[in-house]
Amino acid sequence: MNALPKPIQEAIKGWLSSGEIELFIGYEAGTVPLHATPAFVRRPEEVERLIWDATCENNLAAFLSKYRGKKVGLMVKGCDSRAIVGLIQEAQWTRENLRLVGVSCPGVVDPKRVAEKLGLWVEDLADAHVEGGQVLVNGQRLAVGEVLYAVCEACVHHNPVIADVQMGDSISDPDPADAFAHVRETETLSAEERWARFAGELERCNLCYACRNACPMCYCNICFVDRTMPRWVNQTLRPEDVQFFQIIRTFHLAGRCVGCGACTRACPQGVNLRLFLDKLRADALELYGYEAGTDPSARPPLTTYRENDYNDFIMG
Amino acid sequence: MAEQSNETPWQPKILAFLCNWCSYAGADLAGTSRIQYPPNVRVIRVPCSGRVNPMFIVEALRQGADGVLVSGCHPGDCHYLAGNYYARRRFALLQRYLEYLGIEKGRVQFSWVSASEGQRFAAVVTKVTEDVQKLGPSRHLNIQVPTEAVVPNGPKESEPKAI
Repeated sequence: MNALPKPIQEAIKGWLSSGEIELFIGYEAGTVPLHATPAFVRRPEEVERLIWDATCENNLAAFLSKYRGKKVGLMVKGCDSRAIVGLIQEAQWTRENLRLVGVSCPGVVDPKRVAEKLGLWVEDLADAHVEGGQVLVNGQRLAVGEVLYAVCEACVHHNPVIADVQMGDSISDPDPADAFAHVRETETLSAEERWARFAGELERCNLCYACRNACPMCYCNICFVDRTMPRWVNQTLRPEDVQFFQIIRTFHLAGRCVGCGACTRACPQGVNLRLFLDKLRADALELYGYEAGTDPSARPPLTTYRENDYNDFIMG
Repeated sequence: MAEQSNETPWQPKILAFLCNWCSYAGADLAGTSRIQYPPNVRVIRVPCSGRVNPMFIVEALRQGADGVLVSGCHPGDCHYLAGNYYARRRFALLQRYLEYLGIEKGRVQFSWVSASEGQRFAAVVTKVTEDVQKLGPSRHLNIQVPTEAVVPNGPKESEPKAI
């Protein structure tokens, strides 16, 4: 656990005391092993609580919908900053109301993976912490790079797209040649196999909506699942109802999903939602050359059109 | 529908969302011109193909439709100038997504039919009906099918998975 460097602390304190922002959202040490807790700081003297290390997993942009119209500061990793770009594009936020501390993130630690590697239960990780690029568990050491979330391993945009202050050095991004390799692999399966995979993953889903709540782009005041007039979704655990919910929620992110993986990390049942959302991202890139959140001046693909758009799927 | 007696062979149910200005008028022309086409299609008139929420399509499959057809004006001919251009982007992603998830290719189809193309409307409906006939009754997402038939071996009372 590392407190933020002094210059960064001073910058945040300056914003808070000058009234440029009324709230700063960062991370602080939490009680859950290997998982920093989001911290909501309103007074300059509280800034010392804030930390940054490889356990700062939450996408803080997801909290922004609660503070619409306010002036808020935020700590952003690469993926969080892409979500913020998306929110600005969709006119949920104006850039002037945000103060961003950008941090280049090499990836965050997956406690389940740590436990698995060491043959332990997640509950056994109570003393685990991250120190100098290593995870320390009861005297054993693991390199952070070995126990990242899958989404972080596949990350090709480590650096923040937008930030007011950059904390630490930027990281060189890997070649994004096979960013969607898992999608291509799934595409080679037969329709039956793909359905078995989809239905199999969602067999574990119990409609807790953690994916929706963790998603920075899911900001509707009333979600379609909560609407009763009309009632779009049967909130039962029938496989068809669960599948309906997940198809529609994921499709609402078509051309908008920034691939931060917050939904997949938040899922208590370990449903690999990334496998499905990444298909939408791959198609948005392939058909419309659009990667959500990477270019603040671009228009999201479903809010615009070209006359010569992809038309092959229309019956001849 | 999955269960049918032997006397009446299974016939696909196809739901068609037709835009008011082109495809619905095209269907009307097919009717007034006495052009024959399969009676499997149930038509819902919508103001524009851009009005069709992807949720409508998935809900149709959930409620037991064996196939879904969405038809609108040709690109450039939209009554609302650009509704079908937006729809095209949305449906391109939706069709590829549903296929990726395992809904068979051909269950959900899209076409452009103008108000003067009664013949073409009949051809489109014939083609969609043939495609869906080949695929057989819809099993995925369909609440009319008993659950055991949806997931191979049925949903098990599986032991809680170790996390």
